[in-house]
Amino acid sequence: MPEAFLEINGIQAGYGDVRVLWDISLSVKKGEIACIVGSNGAGKTTLLNTISGIVKPTAGSIKLEGQELVGCLPDAVLKAGIAHVPEGRRLFKGLSVQDNLMLGAYLRDDREAIREDLSFVYDLFPILKERSTQDATTMSGGEQQMCAIGRGIMSKPRLLMIDELSLGLAPRLVDRLGDTLLEINKSGLTILLVEQDVMTAFEIAERAFVIETGHVSISGTTAALGNDPKIKEAYMGI
Amino acid sequence: MDILQILLNGIVLGSLYACIAIGFSLVWGVLNIINMLHGSFIILGGYLTFFAWQYSGMNPVVILPIIAIILFGLGYGLQYFFINKVVMAPVLTTLTLTFGLDMILYNLMTVLFTATPRRVTLDLGTLSVGDLYLPIDRLLGMGLALLLTAILFLVMRASKIGRAIVAVRMDRQAATLMGIRVNHVYAITFGIGALMAGAAGAIFSMVFPITTNLTGTFLGKAFVICVIGGLGSVPGALIGGIALGMIESIAGYTIGPQNATTVGFVLMLILLVVRPTGIAGVKGYE
Repeated sequence: MPEAFLEINGIQAGYGDVRVLWDISLSVKKGEIACIVGSNGAGKTTLLNTISGIVKPTAGSIKLEGQELVGCLPDAVLKAGIAHVPEGRRLFKGLSVQDNLMLGAYLRDDREAIREDLSFVYDLFPILKERSTQDATTMSGGEQQMCAIGRGIMSKPRLLMIDELSLGLAPRLVDRLGDTLLEINKSGLTILLVEQDVMTAFEIAERAFVIETGHVSISGTTAALGNDPKIKEAYMGI
Repeated sequence: MDILQILLNGIVLGSLYACIAIGFSLVWGVLNIINMLHGSFIILGGYLTFFAWQYSGMNPVVILPIIAIILFGLGYGLQYFFINKVVMAPVLTTLTLTFGLDMILYNLMTVLFTATPRRVTLDLGTLSVGDLYLPIDRLLGMGLALLLTAILFLVMRASKIGRAIVAVRMDRQAATLMGIRVNHVYAITFGIGALMAGAAGAIFSMVFPITTNLTGTFLGKAFVICVIGGLGSVPGALIGGIALGMIESIAGYTIGPQNATTVGFVLMLILLVVRPTGIAGVKGYE
């Protein structure tokens, strides 16, 4: 069996005395779209923050193609190839769309390649090109999400983590963003999606991990989990 | 005196004031630190320029960038090794720390250099156009101050580090996710603040006699200008500086120079009540 792309083993983490993640183990395969679902407060965002080095875990290991990331600062994690699109977009107010995108490439020095990636992002989301000089935070929610995803891509990651893709967006927009993610995925980028909206996540991702109170409770292909009566009842309201 | 002459004096004084306030405003806006060291940085820049000029005989315009770089290093180090340790604490904590550091720097300067007023004398003569009357060293000072302001504006707008500084100011955690090392950016920002102060001091030493007793005055001016112009932006400090220069120049002529400073402070108080964001300020960053 080939080694997993992202391998998370026995991660425990929290804030101060409050432990949020009790024992998280999961692995993401190269080239797939995986998703992490779970209710509010289950620890999904904390897990992403732990992977990207903002939260320090108290135990466990996180490996990207064999490289240990626990103990790395956020800039080292980004350099290793993991980009994190945070919950709520978090675009920089007062900076233009293009400046926001360029901040995604902050750690890179390869000017030519950066320019190519910028036009790749503009091809993916043509509306961003139209609005390139506008203050990014004055755009609609959907456009801001596009900008946030584009900013993530600008770091030329091997793994793109997106926290709450659908938050505050109209269903039709979420569908379109989902199609774009599939397109980005086809170009070779592995994607880890975190969603509260299970239906949306299952439509986009191939495999899913369900997190409950800091543990992975169930995992499997989204096709199989989508037919699991317990999942249907707990998360899809069917 | 002619009204044109008063306005001209106001602009010259105002552009020097803008140069004083820009670094202070940047540090306050980005780091949320009221930097009590700012006045001493200005005087340190001025004194170093004076001594370098006196002992080497070099043109102070050539000395200025060297002094500015030295001040940048000093500011970077102070922020990186001391102030960064408490930068997340409430504003009173960082204010107390910079106040303490200022006491050290101020007294050190008084001991090493004494408080004797010193001035770089350039003897450039005076330019007179019609009734207007202008010493050329002041014009030179104004030109240098505006040039520095323009450079900083461009750096903040169009450079990678400028973008990083704005990003850190707007959202620390999101900036971290871009791979930006916040502690490094904080130190660079404080370094730029010190650099601008040092450069302003160098310019002042060519125009007015400077002494350590002036540190408090300069700090007060920077404070007033930031409140008038609005925090954290280059245009804000420029507008605030020119406004204060004009106010003091006009008040100095109409009700006497001894009252000019008071008028500045009174206007600041009025503005705090009417428009707390300052003339060019953005809401939410008072």
